Amino acid sequence: MTVSMLPSCTTVLDADIETSRRTESSELTAKDVPWVVIVWNDPVNLMSYVSYVFQSYFGYSEGKAHKLMLEVHQLGKSVVATGSREQAERDTVAMHSFGLWATYQKADQA
Amino acid sequence: MAKAFKRTRKGITGHLEPAERELIGKLFGDVISMLEIDRKDEDPLAAMVGLDLDAAKPQDAALLRLLPDAVEHDDGEALEFRRLTERSLREDKLGALRASALLLEHTPLQLTDEQARLFARATNDVRLVLAERLDIRTDEDAQALHEIDDWSQAEDLETYLALVYNFMTWLQETLMQALLDGLERHSGREG
Repeated sequence: MTVSMLPSCTTVLDADIETSRRTESSELTAKDVPWVVIVWNDPVNLMSYVSYVFQSYFGYSEGKAHKLMLEVHQLGKSVVATGSREQAERDTVAMHSFGLWATYQKADQA
Repeated sequence: MAKAFKRTRKGITGHLEPAERELIGKLFGDVISMLEIDRKDEDPLAAMVGLDLDAAKPQDAALLRLLPDAVEHDDGEALEFRRLTERSLREDKLGALRASALLLEHTPLQLTDEQARLFARATNDVRLVLAERLDIRTDEDAQALHEIDDWSQAEDLETYLALVYNFMTWLQETLMQALLDGLERHSGREG
């Protein structure tokens, strides 16, 4: 699946993220709480667009993308991804680049 | 009249009248000028590494919708993150808007999937800004506005903006259906 929506990922910042992720993965311990990406409902983004973004960016199946989209629409928000802090940050910026309203936080605070 | 985007053997094709192209080009231009920053006095090192130490939460609600806070309930953390990422987010959005403005010049209007994705993002950002100006806060607001569809009624700015918003919504929806058709074909799933 294409992840072509962030063509500007060539900054030093991203290089740092890559390095820190590699370091971090060898240091993961039980106390590490994952981070989540939350997408919030708004009255502007089309259901078709949101579903397409979830499929094309995250590589989710049509069924999973549709379910998450409906959660956003009906419940006001949905956790759309879980992972390391760096990944959650990256996904949040990607959602903003699509015009979706997203935030990231620790999973136990969601 | 504009025609719905459709997936064909030649890619995703659509049709816009000259006046519609002009209108959409102007809307893309408006959002481009909202996102552009005068950077002539900036620190070249910060620019090189993509940081923006002067970034602040936008005062304008429409600009804030394009560049929202990434962290809830923690303004300090949200600002820190904005300084690290807002610049590339702006540039990413500007890239999609500028590319889409150029695509508008194509006759016939024929897009690859990649171009269609850029066009969809640019159209979406235009709709986010229009929705803010139109004060669309709830699904009910959007629904009420959706019923305004008679261009002969466009006598005041609010009605005109509502008509433009509905036109852009329709255009984006047809584009999304064409893009979704592509995903289904690609993965071989049933509709």
